[in-house]
Amino acid sequence: MNELLLMCVIAGRRAAIPAVRVQSVIEISEITPIPGAPPFIRGLTALRSQALTVIDCSVALGFDSRNDISDQRAAVVDVDGHLYALLVDEALDVSEARSDAFDVPGGFGPGWQTAARGLVETDGGPTLIVNVEALVSGPVAHAA
Amino acid sequence: MDDLLADFVAETREMLEASGGEIVAWEADPSDKARLDTIFRFVHTVKGNCGFFDFPRLEKLSHAAEDALAECRAGRREPDSALVSAVLAIIDRISEMTDAIEAGEDYAEGGDEALIAALEAGERIEVVGESSNDNAPVDPGACDTEEAAPKPARNTGVQRTIRLPTELLDEVMKGVSDMVLARNDLARRLREAGEQPTIDGPFDRLSTILADVRTSITRMRMQRLEHLFTSLPRLVRDLSTELGKQVMVDFEGGEVELDREMIEMVRDPLTHIIRNAIDHGLEGPGERIKTGKREIGLLKFSARQAGNQITLAISDDGRGINVQRLAEKAVAAGIYSEAEITKMSDRRKQHLIFEPGLSTADAVSSVSGRGVGMDVVRANIERVGGSIDVTTKSGEGTTFHLKLPLTLSIIAALTVGSDGQRYAIPRSYVEEIAFGSSDNVDFAEAGERRLVTFRGKRVPCLSLGEVLGTEANEDVDWEDKTLVLIRLATDDVFAFAVDRVFDHEDVVVKPIAPAIMETGLYGGTTLLDDGKPMMLLDLPSIAQRRGLVNELRSVSRVEEEQVVEDSKAHPVMLFNGLDGRRRAMRLELVRRIDTVARDAIDIEGSRAQVVIDGAIFALIGHEHGALPQDKCRLLRLSDGECEIAYAVREVVDAADMAGEIVPSPADPSIEGVTLIGGKPVPVIDGHALFAGNRAPRRVDRPLSCRLPAGSDWARTILEPLVEAAGYRVTMDDSEEADVAIQLSDAGTGAAPPARNVIRLRGEPEATAGEAGSIYRYDREGLMAALKQARTGSEA
Repeated sequence: MNELLLMCVIAGRRAAIPAVRVQSVIEISEITPIPGAPPFIRGLTALRSQALTVIDCSVALGFDSRNDISDQRAAVVDVDGHLYALLVDEALDVSEARSDAFDVPGGFGPGWQTAARGLVETDGGPTLIVNVEALVSGPVAHAA
Repeated sequence: MDDLLADFVAETREMLEASGGEIVAWEADPSDKARLDTIFRFVHTVKGNCGFFDFPRLEKLSHAAEDALAECRAGRREPDSALVSAVLAIIDRISEMTDAIEAGEDYAEGGDEALIAALEAGERIEVVGESSNDNAPVDPGACDTEEAAPKPARNTGVQRTIRLPTELLDEVMKGVSDMVLARNDLARRLREAGEQPTIDGPFDRLSTILADVRTSITRMRMQRLEHLFTSLPRLVRDLSTELGKQVMVDFEGGEVELDREMIEMVRDPLTHIIRNAIDHGLEGPGERIKTGKREIGLLKFSARQAGNQITLAISDDGRGINVQRLAEKAVAAGIYSEAEITKMSDRRKQHLIFEPGLSTADAVSSVSGRGVGMDVVRANIERVGGSIDVTTKSGEGTTFHLKLPLTLSIIAALTVGSDGQRYAIPRSYVEEIAFGSSDNVDFAEAGERRLVTFRGKRVPCLSLGEVLGTEANEDVDWEDKTLVLIRLATDDVFAFAVDRVFDHEDVVVKPIAPAIMETGLYGGTTLLDDGKPMMLLDLPSIAQRRGLVNELRSVSRVEEEQVVEDSKAHPVMLFNGLDGRRRAMRLELVRRIDTVARDAIDIEGSRAQVVIDGAIFALIGHEHGALPQDKCRLLRLSDGECEIAYAVREVVDAADMAGEIVPSPADPSIEGVTLIGGKPVPVIDGHALFAGNRAPRRVDRPLSCRLPAGSDWARTILEPLVEAAGYRVTMDDSEEADVAIQLSDAGTGAAPPARNVIRLRGEPEATAGEAGSIYRYDREGLMAALKQARTGSEA
């Protein structure tokens, strides 16, 4: 069995989130900002009666944010009992991995290196598998 | 009392079940220390509870077993199989007696002494044999019924309850919250689509049911701390009488709601702490007088909610923990070496009280002093994810701080605004609210620190915008802010400047992601009615980060108490009416203060209304004088059901009305005149106010009234009249309406079901077939008929 992946675009690059982790893909309409929170946390949004912490994946990887959030998609994941919405540039579809995750000599660049589990081959070409835990803990983790 | 008893039985049985395995394991290896401790705690707890419930036999049994086990724990006696059997026999007896208590029967007399004697060292074999022998003949009845009909006999006459895993409750709760949001969404869509009588009726019913379900689900999990508090005075009284001490109990924060499960978890530890406080902490009356204290000792409980935590402080004003002796005991018991003790800080030494097997009491009483207790207390509290801390001052008293997590909790919050966003502040911290523009508020600067002088007190002032980093301190327009005076659990006071104070709301607090928690600004999140998230501010943490918390603060408790006794005065709000005259309004009536634009107010003849946040309120107070040109300040008054707005020129201050009110029959709109600050101030009569201006009560489930279908007259003229009488108009033939109105000229036909029928005729004079009908323009007659139908149907 090959791993199912949610294919998406983060910071302009193809990336994949393990589909088992994704509860749903939502369109974010409104975000309540949280002053004082680190920049990769865009704020809170409500999904039914639950508050989701909205993570700007680009910022968490150390890139600039795409500022307009109008109908931007996000993948809902659960980490340690807290729900997060991972804001991505685009959410494409779910497809199978065609290989196991592997490293590339020289790495994927500082941000991606810590937040990616490795590269897999997919039908749409080589794609980085994102480590959800690393994303929600933000760029602080790899700044040091 | 029945509840408590049922709790006791359930708890004892639960412990019996839990300790069943331990007992067997202990039997296999009597020298096993850990098992011994568990069983010891069991009998200790039973003993404690029995003392509370007055079951002398149970108490005697458990006390005896405890004595024997304490000997073993202290190493003065080797546990052997004889002792194990004797203890087991007692535990069995406790279990049987518990069953008898639950069934409301008396347990057969006798047999206890033999069991107790079996515990004595030395006479082992002989007595054990005897005890098991005489166990059977003495109470054959009890044993037989036990075996013949074990379960059914047990449960008769006892409130039927089931135990559910809390996760299930959480899940249901979440489901209901989702339903409420879906309902709100649907409601909005229905409103947009316009009136649809066929849908609106069932929808209203759905809403009512949903609201009921939501309340019950919430109640399933939550209990006010009061429930716990109400059982304490009795316990304290009994203990203090037994020990010859006088103790006064003071409670604060009983309205804090806590998970039912959590309350049960806290009950035992709390009981232990109270025992210790009364037995060791508080001195006897003679000694207290000698040291210059009041002869009655004070035991104070205060609960506060702080974000995701509840802090429960139990303080006594007794002699404090003798840290020196505690340290010596720790050395004597071999827990720490002398060298380790000398290296310890005072606080560390105080924490020795939580070490197992330590006690400062020399004499063992039936109440406490075996060195069991505080270690059990700590174990229990930590098991539920809480923590316990102690502060003590020699000669001044001891305070235990229990911090309990709040898995799911509803708190009363004040919603405030900053930078266009709403935030919630736990209401328990809010002492007072004042306008920055008020004459009573003075701002001052001390270096970078803002200070505000309010009511003669100078307190530090923080701006919410600045704390959140959305507004620099220099840019803050302090005069324009609303100040919320915050008093933390540590009694530190500061002012919090916010853009606006919105409302009081009960909110369900949910935990937030760790990355947000790290900011130290927020304690949780909650959803507003419209489904938008709102952050709950973590005030203690904010205050701590700003250095506003004074860790060791010696507040004289006696003094504090005096204040409590004196404050029997009624708080009132002083304001200047539109005519400039000062008046007072009872503070309980004032729900909030609003400022509206002049054009939101609509006055025509004797009718006056104002629009606030999209709702229409009756307006009063405008008769005193001309309204201001642009903005008008309003007091929003509430009698709990309906609200009215009172126009004022300015809000002056809150004050206490201590003196008596001199009635003034000449003016029915006031209760009378009272003296505040040496000046006579008329106090507005809230009763008269609401009596004269109250809107008709919105019935939760309005009675339905069916109007004749296909009649333009009914729709255009009758319908508004019926609705004004508090009915819900329906055209749906399949629904059984509470009242149906029929036109006599429309012919009877097959009348759809209705509980009451009002018939209207076209002409003032009734013709032969129209007996009992009402002329269609006889407004009074129709109203009376509708009213009668309603009162008849509600009765």
